[in-house]
Amino acid sequence: MSAVWKAIESSPVARVQPHGNGIVLGAHGITKRFGPVEVLRGIHLTLKPGRVLTLMGENGAGKSTMFKVLAGQLQPSDGELQLNGAPLRLSSPHAAHAHRIHLVPQEPLLMAELSVAETMFVGRLPMTGRLLRRVDWADVRQRARTVLDLLELDIDIDCCARTLSIAQLQLVECAKALLHDCRVILFDEPTSPLTSHEVDKLFAIMRRLAAQNCTLSFISHRTEEVMEISDDIAVLRDGRLVDQAERGAFDRARLLSQMVGREMRDVPRRACCSKAAETMLQVDKLSVRGLFKDIDFTLHRGEILGLAGLVGAGRTEIAETIFGIRRPDSGEVSLAGERITGVSCHQLIRKGLVYVPEDRGRHGAVLSMTITQNITSGLLDRVRQPAGLLSAADENEIGAKAVRDLRIRCAGLDQPLRELSGGNQQKVVFGKWMATGPRVAILDEPTRGVDVGAKEEIYELIDQMAKAGMAVLVISSETEELVRLCDRVLSIYEGEIVGELCGDAITPSAVSASYLGTPEVPPSSKEASLA
Amino acid sequence: MSAVVASSIKQGGPVRLPKVAMGRELILAVTTLLVVGVVGALNHDFIGAQNLRFILLNSVVLSLVALGQTLVIAMRGIDLSVAPLLGLAAMVCGLLAQSHGLPLGYAVLLCVAIGLVLGTFNGLLVATLKIPPIVVTLGTYSLYSGLTFLYSDGTQVDSVPPTYAAFGNGHLFDWLPLPTPVLVLLVVLALCWFLLRHTRFGRSILAVGNNDAAAYHAGLPVKWVRVRVYAISGVLACFAGLMFLCYTGSATVTAGTGDHIELQSIAVALVGGTAIAGGRGNLVGTVLGSLFLSVVLTALVFLHVPPIWYSAGEGVMILAAVQSGFGRRSAAQ
Repeated sequence: MSAVWKAIESSPVARVQPHGNGIVLGAHGITKRFGPVEVLRGIHLTLKPGRVLTLMGENGAGKSTMFKVLAGQLQPSDGELQLNGAPLRLSSPHAAHAHRIHLVPQEPLLMAELSVAETMFVGRLPMTGRLLRRVDWADVRQRARTVLDLLELDIDIDCCARTLSIAQLQLVECAKALLHDCRVILFDEPTSPLTSHEVDKLFAIMRRLAAQNCTLSFISHRTEEVMEISDDIAVLRDGRLVDQAERGAFDRARLLSQMVGREMRDVPRRACCSKAAETMLQVDKLSVRGLFKDIDFTLHRGEILGLAGLVGAGRTEIAETIFGIRRPDSGEVSLAGERITGVSCHQLIRKGLVYVPEDRGRHGAVLSMTITQNITSGLLDRVRQPAGLLSAADENEIGAKAVRDLRIRCAGLDQPLRELSGGNQQKVVFGKWMATGPRVAILDEPTRGVDVGAKEEIYELIDQMAKAGMAVLVISSETEELVRLCDRVLSIYEGEIVGELCGDAITPSAVSASYLGTPEVPPSSKEASLA
Repeated sequence: MSAVVASSIKQGGPVRLPKVAMGRELILAVTTLLVVGVVGALNHDFIGAQNLRFILLNSVVLSLVALGQTLVIAMRGIDLSVAPLLGLAAMVCGLLAQSHGLPLGYAVLLCVAIGLVLGTFNGLLVATLKIPPIVVTLGTYSLYSGLTFLYSDGTQVDSVPPTYAAFGNGHLFDWLPLPTPVLVLLVVLALCWFLLRHTRFGRSILAVGNNDAAAYHAGLPVKWVRVRVYAISGVLACFAGLMFLCYTGSATVTAGTGDHIELQSIAVALVGGTAIAGGRGNLVGTVLGSLFLSVVLTALVFLHVPPIWYSAGEGVMILAAVQSGFGRRSAAQ
């Protein structure tokens, strides 16, 4: 870490310099209404220089909305922002930039066709030349390259942004904050797509920025991370600030009870299912050149099988190949004894195999459509009437059932998906696929961007599905999630299965050690900080 | 680490051109030359200097319109009103030149003014009313056609002053074999290319085309960018109208709309490698696309294809060219 920062300090192009005068960003009685719905109710917050303030709360508690208000993307209905004690009105994101307030958004905003270097400078391109004012591309590329090197990101700055993974995009968003000499940086759940190594790197940078008197704020659902990085913690529930104190005053139980509003106890691992159950999915020596090779496993009726691994280990690609999105170079897949290699996704859904993708924005949901339309989009052929028209009553019934079962928090079935919080959107995507009544479900990061309370609801749902006889394949980067859910865990490392854990052998340290390819369990820094 | 920094600074040289775009331009140029070669072998008159000059000149008007269209499409918009704007400018300048001897210089200024006002009107409607651009410009398409009818009052232009004809057909420099309109096109192309590649405004066009919400969050004046791009498209369409007047020496109320130049301009932009979903614009490709269309249409005449087949042939050509481009891109992914 120190090597990184020596390089940043000695580099004239990174432009990250200590600020003598830190700024205090205050929110006083901020209220935000969308129509009749109050999303924020009289929030008082103070962001201080040199400190990291973490916002915690369930889905829809108002954390992201609060950040958007602080970054000028939304204007408060009531209340006032203050900068060093003076009233501050941010009429647009541009105004926030002028005060060097930067928001790292929860979902990276993709500029698919621009080069990676340019996406980091959109809205702030440096110019050169006296007579002929023009964009200084050399400067753009040089500064982008330098910052990415400092973050040890191996990304070609000239390639199109659409070729990047979510994790890479998120890291590029964080790198952006370093480029533009920001004094207030708001990180809206930056860690959810990142590996623990990348999170450590990000935290090192955040600590250093805090040491340079930057004002930082952070949103995360991972309690360990929050305890590790925060100086202060504020808990939001239903748009209200319910608790705020220094980190030392909080422990896991207090955090959870404040967020959920009720005491929560640790849930035990589910009971193992019998191994004798029939084979639902068989994957035989499946390979795609350059991505993964010789993937062999079976998935039984009623079983929950986890795929552990680093982001980029090839787990999503394996799932996409099973689901017919990618073509395998060799190997076979069969569903309940029937060979399905090369069968289209559409056919597979009819045969009872579904894949719930990781990135709901890109593959899983249509944000402009209503909740009902999203849920029924996977099974339109089943709600069709003889005349070939959709029955609104059938559609609504299916939608209402999903909203009830998944406890989706919404104003009504006709609400467009974009108005829901991230966690509730994920529930809708989930509901869409479950409504098709699959026999085998592949869930790719089923709780990405979902808060603790709702996570447990989703876990229970997956449990129920497995008990009802569905075979479930879960891809997750959260070790605890795999421990909580799975009967069996396969570890993937650089496209190969490197380990298998069964039953009570599935513990957090065993899973991490297994997918990192280290036989011995290293003392994790996160566990140390929790103890 | 410092070694990494040093080496990365060394790399900060000139910008590499996007590979896919370069490939597209090369393919278009080669295909065009191939068609010229094959048809020329079948009929030697096709590659005569006179005919080549005709092909070149024929593509200029469409190119000018399509350059504006390319900017609009790269911003994830569309401008159907370019066709009536072309006709309106040709009619207004033509009638004033015919009856009052309007000097060419003033005609240029007049065209720019008409394009600026009506193009800005398009832009304001799109940016402020949040109506999809295809609907807005469909409306202004009829509106601007109506203006042409009202202004011309049933008359038409059938002769232009000699300065106009010289501008549309002559040579600016004796030592240069390129006709004046082609020179003008090259200048406009260079200006547009510089705008899109090297100015903040140009990069904003692409940012808005990629993701307008993200562009707004990055602090870009999204509405203002939209208004300006539609204004530029209007100006280029009107200037193309003047060029059309000078080149053909005539103007009727159906100039532009009769040839469906709005659809042609969209087609050649797509053929040239501009993304219909926005975010990517290839201006050189657009000009090459216009040239390709001009070559193919002329070739159909030389191959004695009956005129009733021209429109269908044009459609097949466009679909084939756009499809080949899409195939290339997905293969690259």
